[in-house]
Amino acid sequence: MKRNLVGIISVLCALLIAVAFSGCAAPPPVEPIKLGAVNPLGDITGAQASKAMQLAAKEINDAGGVLGRPIEVIVIDSELKPEKGAAALDKLATVDNVDVFIGGMSSGVHMGEIPTLKKYEKVTVWIGAASHVCEEALEGCDWYFHIHPWDYLQGESYLEGWTAISEQNPEVKIDNWFWTYEEGGFGTASYAASEELYKDWITMTGESFKSAALGGGDYSALLEHAKDYNPDVFVWVGYGADALPIMEQAKAIGFAPPLFLGSPPGWPADFGESPLAEDVCLYGMWAPSIKEVSTVSKHFWDAYIAEYNEEPATYFCPLGYTNVYIVADAIERAGTLDEDALIAALEETEYASPMGEVVTFSPSNIIKHQGVRGQKILQWQNGEQQVLWPFEFATAEIAYPFPSWEGR
Amino acid sequence: MKNWRYIVYAVVIVLAISLPFYTGAYHQHVATTILMFLTLALSWDMLIRAGQLSFGIAGFFGVGGYAAAITYLNWDISPFLSIALGGLAAFVIALVLGFAVLRLRGMYFAITTLALAEIFRVIVRNWSSLTGGPEGMVLPSTIFGGDSAQIYWLLLAIAIATIIVSEVFQRTRIHFALTSIRNNETVAKASGVDIFKYLVLAFAITSAIQGIVGGAYAQIYGFVSPEGSFHLDFTLLPLAMALLGGMYSTPGPVVGGLVLGIVAEYLKLQIPYGHLLVYGVIIVVVILFMPKGIVGTIRERLQRR
Amino acid sequence: MQLLSKLKQRNYQIAIACIIVAVILAIWKPSVLIYGSQRAGLYASIAIPMALILGVVGIINLAHGQFMMLGAYLAYWISVSTGADPLVAMVPVFLAMFVVGMLTYRGCIKYVLKAPELNQLLLTFGLAMILEQLANLLWTSQPVKAHVGYASASASIGSFTFGTFDFVNVAMAIAILIALLLFLKRTRTGQAALAVGQNPRGAKLVGINIDRTYLLIFSISIAIVGALGALFLTRHSIFPLVGGTYTLKSFCLVAMAGIGNLTGVLWCSLGLGLAEAFIMSFKGYGGWADMVFFALIIIVIIVRSYQRRVI
Repeated sequence: MKRNLVGIISVLCALLIAVAFSGCAAPPPVEPIKLGAVNPLGDITGAQASKAMQLAAKEINDAGGVLGRPIEVIVIDSELKPEKGAAALDKLATVDNVDVFIGGMSSGVHMGEIPTLKKYEKVTVWIGAASHVCEEALEGCDWYFHIHPWDYLQGESYLEGWTAISEQNPEVKIDNWFWTYEEGGFGTASYAASEELYKDWITMTGESFKSAALGGGDYSALLEHAKDYNPDVFVWVGYGADALPIMEQAKAIGFAPPLFLGSPPGWPADFGESPLAEDVCLYGMWAPSIKEVSTVSKHFWDAYIAEYNEEPATYFCPLGYTNVYIVADAIERAGTLDEDALIAALEETEYASPMGEVVTFSPSNIIKHQGVRGQKILQWQNGEQQVLWPFEFATAEIAYPFPSWEGR
Repeated sequence: MKNWRYIVYAVVIVLAISLPFYTGAYHQHVATTILMFLTLALSWDMLIRAGQLSFGIAGFFGVGGYAAAITYLNWDISPFLSIALGGLAAFVIALVLGFAVLRLRGMYFAITTLALAEIFRVIVRNWSSLTGGPEGMVLPSTIFGGDSAQIYWLLLAIAIATIIVSEVFQRTRIHFALTSIRNNETVAKASGVDIFKYLVLAFAITSAIQGIVGGAYAQIYGFVSPEGSFHLDFTLLPLAMALLGGMYSTPGPVVGGLVLGIVAEYLKLQIPYGHLLVYGVIIVVVILFMPKGIVGTIRERLQRR
Repeated sequence: MQLLSKLKQRNYQIAIACIIVAVILAIWKPSVLIYGSQRAGLYASIAIPMALILGVVGIINLAHGQFMMLGAYLAYWISVSTGADPLVAMVPVFLAMFVVGMLTYRGCIKYVLKAPELNQLLLTFGLAMILEQLANLLWTSQPVKAHVGYASASASIGSFTFGTFDFVNVAMAIAILIALLLFLKRTRTGQAALAVGQNPRGAKLVGINIDRTYLLIFSISIAIVGALGALFLTRHSIFPLVGGTYTLKSFCLVAMAGIGNLTGVLWCSLGLGLAEAFIMSFKGYGGWADMVFFALIIIVIIVRSYQRRVI
């Protein structure tokens, strides 16, 4: 009995000594630099953006980290709900003690997050939210950096783009536009901004519809009105679920305007395979074909597929990658995590992004630090998105006019 | 020993009030959200005690939110007053509509409340001059400047007030009136209960509570929008909480709200991809094994002893 | 004289009013008649199976639209892996969803039938969530669709060209209704189901196997709505959350028609579809179409409740 007791105690002592020594032997872990992201993980945009962020972090760490420390991206699901997004920011700030806020997607969710962002006033580099309503709530927030273009900035870029395209291709007529937009905040804001911006440039009229993503999907009436109006350009602003049904219904009533333009934040998975997709124009920040004209884009494309065995599906994927690199690069240049120094370093950002352009920050209507200032004009050709404008990233010439529906 | 119940209540209340002193902003935020849904669940339960199933919580929630936002933006009033006005707007609308719709029973009443909620949303979305249209409206400032502790106390006060109202419903004549209506209307009528008066009262009061929570939500997050403020989640989640916790009682929705709220947040952090799947499975499993809800099943077990 | 007395009967009055409205629309706004009835067919075909479950089994199936979504994804998977047309895939999907319905009933629905009434609500809510999340995990939230040329089939009357494929929804709705009515009224199992729906205890006393009846009706309903998912895939992009609105709208239609009234669902859908299309035909008023939908539902429900009191 006594021998067993001695045996047990000695084993325990040995274990304790081993643990103590192992603790001493191992070097103290390096505190990583933490970026806190709030993304909608249940949606493909947020899911892929998060993965792209982790990919960027991995690449940066493999190259030695930032300021000699590894970078860690902590992602919390916003569940596409404002209160959950706000609570996630609280957790990242107070429990995970992140140094910078990143991520984002939905404008509606961001509205709920902004009061919490203002509470902490941490450096925030956001890739979501296009609604100018969000910008109105961010007045005076000099710690806020916004990469995604605001809705009115997008509208201005399209004006510039179409003017350039029609100058280069005089047969392209863009005088008379028929807009149709989903009746929620996204579509209405887009249309209202354009009405204001384009009133001296083109004649336009518009009609709202209920998006298929929200239970609608009946475009027959508005397509009839569009057909009667006989526009040069037909634009629809909705969601990916609207893309194919609206084409099919347009074909059914025989409506084929010279320019068919779609502006959803994302497209259906197999849109390119449909014969109806040929020569549909679209607005977007990125297309896979940009990898032909940009080495950064090609590297991102290959690295993402190698890591996750899936293709990037929306522009939020390269945007997430860009997000982490911009922050890491700024921290490296600032040499510190001190907020004022970091803000100054971010202001000097010149990052060649996988979306093609070099991202810099300059003031927009209300905030001081706006990154990307417009989107690109693209066109589906042979099942792939080709860039028409800006010409520096162009991968194809415009195919005009939109082909008739015969034989498709 | 019946007194132990009051001791438990007292301890819970003290813990609840002192929560901000031993937790951080994140936990307070989660607790605030839980309190919101818990209050909505309780308000829904108060109406089901009269046998009226409502699918219109989101409607009055949104009405309250918009009323609070509109009054706050257009008049120089305090945020608290705007929240109270949100509740008042919901109360008045429910009162007026109640006279028309409370003759309906069962599924028909439920669908009507759902349809009403959708109608409110469409009206708000189209009446741009008053409500800012589909893009919604931003408030110039949020209540308490965003301080989580004070926001938590505000919701705690609202929740406790709702619990008190619920208990009043449970203990006074209203309880007998509502329960008898639920069990057998003809008998209730025969015993002289003015069914209609009690139903309208219950409907108006529960809608007012939903409006107050909606107003608080608007003031806390500083914005309202047709898609956000009338979201179906504000109807479905409180329903699930009340059903899971146990209907026809005060502790039921409270427990259901706490359990589902905490589980949801915990799962989200543990299983980033697919936590909602587990959430759905938990709901299915619990309701299969605890048909009377959590509180109901606990009560049964205790009684059996 | 016989004609005059018939004219006084309410049903005939309503029928004549409908014909007059149809003629007016055909001349003034033919698009309303065409698109309205097509949309009505879609709503009706999805709502009728829900009416069946509600009428016989008496449960609120909050996962109704989600089962349709599941059927749609099954059809998509079949059509992508075998190259089959989604309409052809309707048959295997019907069978697969029948099995799914049986498993769901045996696995969970059965147990909540004896429980307090609203538990089925919560159970089906949980099921809906499970189905949505499964679809999200398996296929992501990006919409998918089957590309079929005939979805844009069209015809012309004079200068007016319109899509004709959606008439298949109308055909489906009528076919489902007739098939179900024949089943319920002419077959023994169907009559047993009707009996169970009207009075479960009485039916049990007469020796009808309630459990078997519920199983059959539930599975049929899920199978039909799943097969409709395959049809849905040909004309709509599908994504995990697509089912939610259709659950809601089916619900509203079933309540509007009156619980247990299958034929009524068809007429109510027609009325609502035409009303929606009518509002949308005026440029700029499309945003109010939703409200007209729900307002009509409330009006019909309330008017009917007053009628019942008078009688």
